[in-house]
Amino acid sequence: MLETMLSGQLLFAALVTGSVYALVALGLNLVYGTMRMLNVAHGDLVMLGAYAAFWGFSLFGLSPLLMAPVIALAGAAVGVAMYRMLFRKMLGKASQSTAGKVESNSLLLFFGLSILIQNSAAFVFTPNIRGYVYLDAVYTLGNVSMTVNRLVALLVAGTLCVSIALFLSRHVLGLAMRAVIERREAASVVGVDVDRVQKLSFGVGFGAAAIAGVLMSMLEQFSPFSGFPFTVAGFVVIILGGLGNITGGLLAALFLGFIETYGVALTSANLRSVLLYGSFVVVLLFFPNGLLSKRLIR
Amino acid sequence: MKLDGTFRRQAVIGLAAAAFAFSAGPLNAQTGNPLRIGFSMARTGMLANATPSQMNTYELWKEQVNARGGMNVAGVKRTVEFVVYDDQSKPEQAVRIYEKLITDDKVDLLLAPWGTPFHIAIAPVLEKYKFPLVGNTAASVALRQVKPGYIWFTTSAIPDRIGKELTAMLKQQNVKSVAVLSNVLPFTKEIKNFLEPELKSAGIEIKVSTEYPPNIKDMTATLTQVKQAKVDAVLALAYPGDSVLYAKQAKELGLSQGFQFVAIGPSDAFFPKVVGKSSADGVVTIAHWSPRPEWKGSQAFYDSYVKKFGEDPDFLNSALAWMSLEILEVAVAKNGLNKEGIRATIAKDTFETINGKVKFEGVQNVITPTAFVQYQKGKLQLVWPSSMATSKFAPKVGW
Repeated sequence: MLETMLSGQLLFAALVTGSVYALVALGLNLVYGTMRMLNVAHGDLVMLGAYAAFWGFSLFGLSPLLMAPVIALAGAAVGVAMYRMLFRKMLGKASQSTAGKVESNSLLLFFGLSILIQNSAAFVFTPNIRGYVYLDAVYTLGNVSMTVNRLVALLVAGTLCVSIALFLSRHVLGLAMRAVIERREAASVVGVDVDRVQKLSFGVGFGAAAIAGVLMSMLEQFSPFSGFPFTVAGFVVIILGGLGNITGGLLAALFLGFIETYGVALTSANLRSVLLYGSFVVVLLFFPNGLLSKRLIR
Repeated sequence: MKLDGTFRRQAVIGLAAAAFAFSAGPLNAQTGNPLRIGFSMARTGMLANATPSQMNTYELWKEQVNARGGMNVAGVKRTVEFVVYDDQSKPEQAVRIYEKLITDDKVDLLLAPWGTPFHIAIAPVLEKYKFPLVGNTAASVALRQVKPGYIWFTTSAIPDRIGKELTAMLKQQNVKSVAVLSNVLPFTKEIKNFLEPELKSAGIEIKVSTEYPPNIKDMTATLTQVKQAKVDAVLALAYPGDSVLYAKQAKELGLSQGFQFVAIGPSDAFFPKVVGKSSADGVVTIAHWSPRPEWKGSQAFYDSYVKKFGEDPDFLNSALAWMSLEILEVAVAKNGLNKEGIRATIAKDTFETINGKVKFEGVQNVITPTAFVQYQKGKLQLVWPSSMATSKFAPKVGW
């Protein structure tokens, strides 16, 4: 048992799971952080990203990895368009007193969008299970065997998460986003273009979801109804990390990846949900605002 | 009551949506005087991805029947039209749909929905209205508790029989030790419950026995344990989703057992596409059909399915669906639309199908043997039992 626990195999599995969770949750968190909108259709965007990679690969033989930036840009464009056509108009028309209502109603709006996306995808793509074989060679380093597509998923998701975290802490636009996340009204008063930040959040959030979908399609099979579990995982991560807290979300994703892998190794696979949601409840009991609450960061 | 503007708009939109929903009616309903055959199918919801192989088979059958002038209804040919509703992957919805199909749509015949819970759920409706239905994609020992009369189950893939036959096959392959990994969903859990006592009584050591939830995302810890146990065979009692996860991670960890059994998933065309042909090759799974010269129409069914859909049929579910249609055709040709006549024929006669002879005792098909197929050079071959094998079992070499 000790040998298993100390093996790099489990560490690799935990990092792959955690990094994909982190990327999924990151997009969700950006949209929530800047606009307080819970995008319950987020997992469905992941699913659409997976289909884009699948069709590109199946019909035209395009490498999913090379297609990933294009698919991410397309996802970002959809996000920006959706913000412009739907949410900006709603938020813009809303007075100060009704803005909160609009934000809470966004939950229902996204829920409707989720159902619409799922069933449209089922109609257009058929509900058949899809998947493809890509970079499935196994690379062995020491005593750790790694399927190349899982290694690539880890590297891409990890790099993107770190890059976005750096962007938020170093770039002027990223700092503006953080300002809106942490002090929305104050940011507006000191001249931050809140509308631009919100648009950017939608773009980055949707783009991140699309890339997560590309990575997911390389690792597992999917169907039009595969998005919901990603939405749930994303919500667990961002609540655990602190709603709107990007760094906390990244740490929470890794925490869940480790719980899922090492927890199962120590107990039983059958206890996966108990471990995941049990640790979720326990953490929230002691840290109601998430693992890294804003109070702790400062 | 005075409505404010927003509420009025919402009410109008809601009413319009409701009107649309109710007026939409059956997905394929048409007017005219063809033979109307109704069923529900999970077109949306969590089970929707499991149903295409059955739905495709129904569509193929309708196309072929209509191409030859229609279904023989006691000597009169009538073209076939489907009345299909989406049961949204909910058995309780299927119950309402079948009641509606019988009482409101007044369909002439019924076909089966997808999956065991749906078959069991609609059985009382069939009993109530004395409307016969030949089931297909249902497999559980619980089916034997269904009151015989108006529903029959064509499959021989019943968990207790699977336990016995799989053990016999392992014994024949001189397997001394196994690892049993089971999804906790009902069908695979049932197989595990019947399989493990059989293995023990046959003297096969179960070195690893573990269960996992349907939403499992990573099997590294479990498969590392399996690898360390150095067993002769791995019996992955998986559903389609985790069958792919198992195959991919078994490849990553280099599980080298020559006997790799994966319960559900590999019989469907998606499996080799998602895991790769080399990974699929050698995997043994549950199915009791394959094209055989002895089974009239089996090769023709396979060829026409591949021609229409560009992929193999599911060797379990598509074959079962086709068998149920063949049985219904014979009963209707003999009795017309007389429900009692159809019921009596299905209950008593022996039918020639693409899977050989079928005869029911109570609700069960008592002729078709429980069997297993194996991917060999990209094709599924019947490898067990030897009496109907199309090829010999070959140990899996690598992934």
